[in-house]
Amino acid sequence: MLRNVFWKSLRDQRRALAWWGIGLVLLAVTTLLFYPAIRDSQELIQQAMQAFPKELLAIFAGEVTDIASPVGFLNTQLFFFMAPLLFLAFAIAFGSGAIAGEEERGTLDLLLANPVARRRVVVEKFAAMVVATIALATTFWAGLTVGSKAVGMEINVVRLAEMTVSLALLGLVFGSLALAFGAARGNSGLSIGVASALGVAFYFANALAPAVEALEPLRNFSPFYYYIGADPLTNGLNLAHAGVLAGLSVLLLIVALVTFERRDLRV
Amino acid sequence: MNGAVQTENLVKFYGRHQALDGVSLAVAEGEVFGYLGPNGAGKTTTIRVLLDFIRPTGGTALVFGLDARRSSREIRRRVGYLPGDLVLYENLTGQELLTYAANLRGGVDWRFAQRLAERLECDLSKRIHSLSHGNKQKVGLLLAFMSRPELVILDEPTTGLDPLGQHEFYRLVQEVKAEGRTVFLSSHNLPEVERVCDRVAIVREGKLVAVESVTTLKAHLLRRLELQFAAPVPPDVFSGVAGVRDVTVENSRLRCTVMGSLDSLIKTAARFEVVNVISQEPTLEEVFLSYYGGGRGDAS
Repeated sequence: MLRNVFWKSLRDQRRALAWWGIGLVLLAVTTLLFYPAIRDSQELIQQAMQAFPKELLAIFAGEVTDIASPVGFLNTQLFFFMAPLLFLAFAIAFGSGAIAGEEERGTLDLLLANPVARRRVVVEKFAAMVVATIALATTFWAGLTVGSKAVGMEINVVRLAEMTVSLALLGLVFGSLALAFGAARGNSGLSIGVASALGVAFYFANALAPAVEALEPLRNFSPFYYYIGADPLTNGLNLAHAGVLAGLSVLLLIVALVTFERRDLRV
Repeated sequence: MNGAVQTENLVKFYGRHQALDGVSLAVAEGEVFGYLGPNGAGKTTTIRVLLDFIRPTGGTALVFGLDARRSSREIRRRVGYLPGDLVLYENLTGQELLTYAANLRGGVDWRFAQRLAERLECDLSKRIHSLSHGNKQKVGLLLAFMSRPELVILDEPTTGLDPLGQHEFYRLVQEVKAEGRTVFLSSHNLPEVERVCDRVAIVREGKLVAVESVTTLKAHLLRRLELQFAAPVPPDVFSGVAGVRDVTVENSRLRCTVMGSLDSLIKTAARFEVVNVISQEPTLEEVFLSYYGGGRGDAS
């Protein structure tokens, strides 16, 4: 695990990764435990939902159509709000720690005293973030698959996998943003703040767009739209949308490479 | 032949603060070069330019004739470095830390590294966070020396070291020199630099004040001396002695300042009964005074 920067970065996160994995599986399972109850009182719930203002629902559940179907339940209860929130938090923490965190602790001098190019450090840390996020998404998917079987939910596990791929891609956009900001400025607190603030702003831009007309034009700028707008759980991964998310991450990686190469390291 | 380090008119601004103001240095291969100055004089800034951690606002820096910026990786392959503000990966053991560095360097001679650890009495099985400041410093020294680099750059290397550790460190430096390799060390401690270095650059407020061989430096140092005699002594006997100035005598106690060798003064004093000699090592400020204060007319 101490072979290179990539493995060292994963090694540093191994405990955090394990706990995040446990947390996400618990979230998947506990959420699914509610499913039978919701399914069995479908009519009541539908009535209650109709009584609710659409704008309020949209904030945390998106365009609610059918909460009692497996796809509707998973989309509203997990994939619209809770899962992205957690994946963003994980990726932003990883990304901001990658360069800026190490720089602030003062270990970046130690690392770069070795014959390793700055660019390579950025690429290897980015790769570690990608691998860690994919590992977490896989764990989440496994938890959902097992959990849905346990409560007798009929869900296409391939679609579920495609949904979690989209989720990982979304997390990576904001993780890459935090990494790029940290690489450019060397300040992890600021990079967490900026990435989180943009995450919140883009979330609302997407979530409220169907309900609030003024936000509609902003929707196409929100990564959240490319994450869930094409409903991957129903339709499978939209390659164009997934491409937008992946492209954004790559773009941010390039920003990190260029800015980190050009600046002075902080003492 | 290229020197180990060569800088030409290095200038570095941090915003409006000027950290380096035209530093031109030349360190030959095989010498132990001291970089002496008070805190904030620009020592660390110079070193960080050499390692390409920061980019100069003006001027050039070459290490082994290679541009510090363009050939940074090649340079760092040939350089061992101990940071002034040493921070290690706290969650690793010493052994793991060495392994990581060795892997990033493409391998080291482990028998040599192991022997070095024993000499410095480093316990590599302990996690870094459980080590004392001095023991962390030893791990830092190990990291700098273990790859047997052609150039060792050390920023305030003896900070926090116990006397035994310091002694072992001085021996290490001598060994590196004996093998024809180069040491560049920064310090604000004059006796240390006198002890291990061949040549010294004195830096203050981002400017080089002087570059001298240690022998020359010693010859121009002003040292404050206090001699206690058994009986009162006549002041005029001492004021005429070569290199001696500022003589004051209170009864049997003589105070004076001596430039360079103490030989004449000691021989004169030996005519009387000497009870005690108190010699004060010159502080850095006094070194600067001897360079600024007209102590010498041939400043080159």
